[in-house]
Amino acid sequence: MVSASAWATPSTRTELIENLVSGVDRYNPSNVGILEDYLYHQIRSEEYDCLANLAILKLYQFNPDLYNPDVVINILIKALTSLPFPDFNLCISLLDERSASTNPDEPDPLPLLLPVLISLHNLLQQCRFPAFWTLYRSEKAESLRDNYTVECVGFEDSVREVVIRGVKAAFKSIRMERLGNYLNLSDEDLNGYVAKLGWSIEASTGVVSIPPNPDNQIESTVVQEQIELPLTFA
Amino acid sequence: MAQQRKALWEADLDEELHDVDLNIAIGNYGQNGLYDDAQPRIDEPTLLAVQHQVAQQAALAQIPDAVKRFIVHFHQAVLDNNLSEITVAYESGWNRLTEKFYAKTEWPEAEIIAPLVNDDQIFLILYRELYYRHVYSRIQPDIDDRFHSYENSCELFNYLLNSDGPVPLELPEQWLWDIIDEFIYQFQSFCVWRSKVKPKTDEELMLLADAGQAWSSYSVLNVLYSLIQKSKINEHLTALQEGKSADEIVEIVGEYGTKPLYRMLGYFSLIGLLRVHSLLGDFTLALKVMESVELNQKINKTADRMYALFAVCNALSPSRVDDNISNTMKEKYGEQFTKMSRGEEGIPAFEELFLYACPKFISANPPPYEDAELLQAHIEELPVEPAQRHLSLFLSDVRAQAPVPTLRSFLKLYTSLDAKKLSNFLDADEEEMVQQLMVMKQASRSISRVENEKGLLGGQMISTSDLDFVIDENMVHIAESTVGRRYAGWFIRNTEHAQRVYDTVHNSPLPIPPKSASQVKADAAAAPPSAAPVSQRTGQRVAWGGNVKAA
Repeated sequence: MVSASAWATPSTRTELIENLVSGVDRYNPSNVGILEDYLYHQIRSEEYDCLANLAILKLYQFNPDLYNPDVVINILIKALTSLPFPDFNLCISLLDERSASTNPDEPDPLPLLLPVLISLHNLLQQCRFPAFWTLYRSEKAESLRDNYTVECVGFEDSVREVVIRGVKAAFKSIRMERLGNYLNLSDEDLNGYVAKLGWSIEASTGVVSIPPNPDNQIESTVVQEQIELPLTFA
Repeated sequence: MAQQRKALWEADLDEELHDVDLNIAIGNYGQNGLYDDAQPRIDEPTLLAVQHQVAQQAALAQIPDAVKRFIVHFHQAVLDNNLSEITVAYESGWNRLTEKFYAKTEWPEAEIIAPLVNDDQIFLILYRELYYRHVYSRIQPDIDDRFHSYENSCELFNYLLNSDGPVPLELPEQWLWDIIDEFIYQFQSFCVWRSKVKPKTDEELMLLADAGQAWSSYSVLNVLYSLIQKSKINEHLTALQEGKSADEIVEIVGEYGTKPLYRMLGYFSLIGLLRVHSLLGDFTLALKVMESVELNQKINKTADRMYALFAVCNALSPSRVDDNISNTMKEKYGEQFTKMSRGEEGIPAFEELFLYACPKFISANPPPYEDAELLQAHIEELPVEPAQRHLSLFLSDVRAQAPVPTLRSFLKLYTSLDAKKLSNFLDADEEEMVQQLMVMKQASRSISRVENEKGLLGGQMISTSDLDFVIDENMVHIAESTVGRRYAGWFIRNTEHAQRVYDTVHNSPLPIPPKSASQVKADAAAAPPSAAPVSQRTGQRVAWGGNVKAA
């Protein structure tokens, strides 16, 4: 799980971007290109930088003519894979309502895709993983798949990482079948995936053991008071 | 003969009358006060200026003496940089006179009182700051007020930031805070007012179309960022935290940063940025600007709203909290809290408290006043208000966790339980319930400051719940953390009580038994002459030994 400080300052962020994000240059509209290029770099290299992407949305907020719906959709796609961090909703908070589109030749794809993205986000947030995959593979999300997520390298695996985060926090061991449903994988793909994680499968029962981590080790504790008695009496 | 003469007369008179210029006869003295055409006439603008000046002098004369004296005194204090006098004038003088003379009307306009302060432009800028603050709080500002107060703010900040070096002004901290606070308030007020397109008059629409950068988000942010940069307040705070010496700090912050005026304005601007970013819905940036600031634990004037937020948080993520806070919260919001703790049915309560406690969110962009066609389209399809947008984001997060309270209450009853059985109790689909358990796990985790992490964006993931569980294939194992019996507090309280009883007893006179006089004498002679018993008999106070310390 990414720590808070890594979330705020990913190691993959360059100095140029760091200066942009942390300084007042983030408000300069002419810098939007640099940040947009960085987003596309993230998309191609399986990297992710939430604050840099939020900076793009903020520039769009103040300079509506810079608005590029493809950029916004890609930012939201990346944010989906960051759950349980609240990135997706943080992005939505910066999307001010837009006035009716002025350009009938270039229709804005965002209003059509946004409901699908929001539904996908909600399903992931509610850990309804089988339902997520069903919606994602359905016709409703066709445009999203064909035009956007196909470009995002490793998108599906990133979603699987979200699933694994949820699973390993709540489970000590889990049936292969259930895990397969959550990951949208089966048979050799599933075996291969689990092997890559380093999790062991008990062949006879078909149950996967999840290595211990702070979340799936529980113990009852009693919170005792700490009382310090002085050793000498006046 | 007579008839002929009459005709002559008439003819003569007519001829004579035709040559008379009636205007000259009527005369010019009423209008221009001039008799000759040789002198140039006074033109219209000058005439108006003279009339204006006369009107202002009349207005000045009407101002109560107490107010005039106050203004002169205030001005002198500012000129002298007499901080204590300025503070008194600012904190009590102004308010007292407002209550007495201007409770429902504006103070005199700056132009009118200008003669009293020798037209000191800087003082007049400060005066106008107070003037407009009064207008916004007691009276509804009209569109002119809004634009003029913006211009005045720009003049003030321009003076502070773009003079040759730091300005020789000293103002009380309270006033500096109020300047920033009011600036942001007026910005937010303008945004809200501006977003209401329908009830605007034609004149207002025209003015808004030409508004340009007035009260734009960029200008407001620019002011705050400039104050921060000029005062080098972030470097200052970091240097303080690193324990640098006073001399080193002077080096680091420069000539502006050493002056209290700029230092405080810089500091308050940091908090101002926190507010503006929150208003615009950019929460990460709001937290980021507070990196160097260490927050106090004081509860401020908006305590009610904080309790509302606390109720919301506690309902979503139950954890152990201090009793005092918990009790106050239950007093105010007990009803809503109970509902919110029950999941889905609490949604209206969440909505109510969220809207009450949330910042007054604004939209960064104005309706398109510059383009009549776009404006019409905007009116027909009104975009959702920012507050509603943020509310629905919040509620979607709440809904995601709606199953949690019910699950919690069932899990509390067991140490281990089969998932199938649990789903039977809940009358739910087993797989759905397992997924809800994963949500519950996530809901009980939060990023929190564990060690001395810097800033508000740092921290580690910890558990916030006293109930934890793990699923072993299909078996749910539950662990609760409980609080051991607290005996220390009870012990101390009872010891103190015993102490008090003890002290009271020893400090009271013993009841003197009724005896005959001779018996008293005999007793007195017989008893060993020690101080204590004799004192007891005479009822004086006794001090015994030293204090007995409770451990």
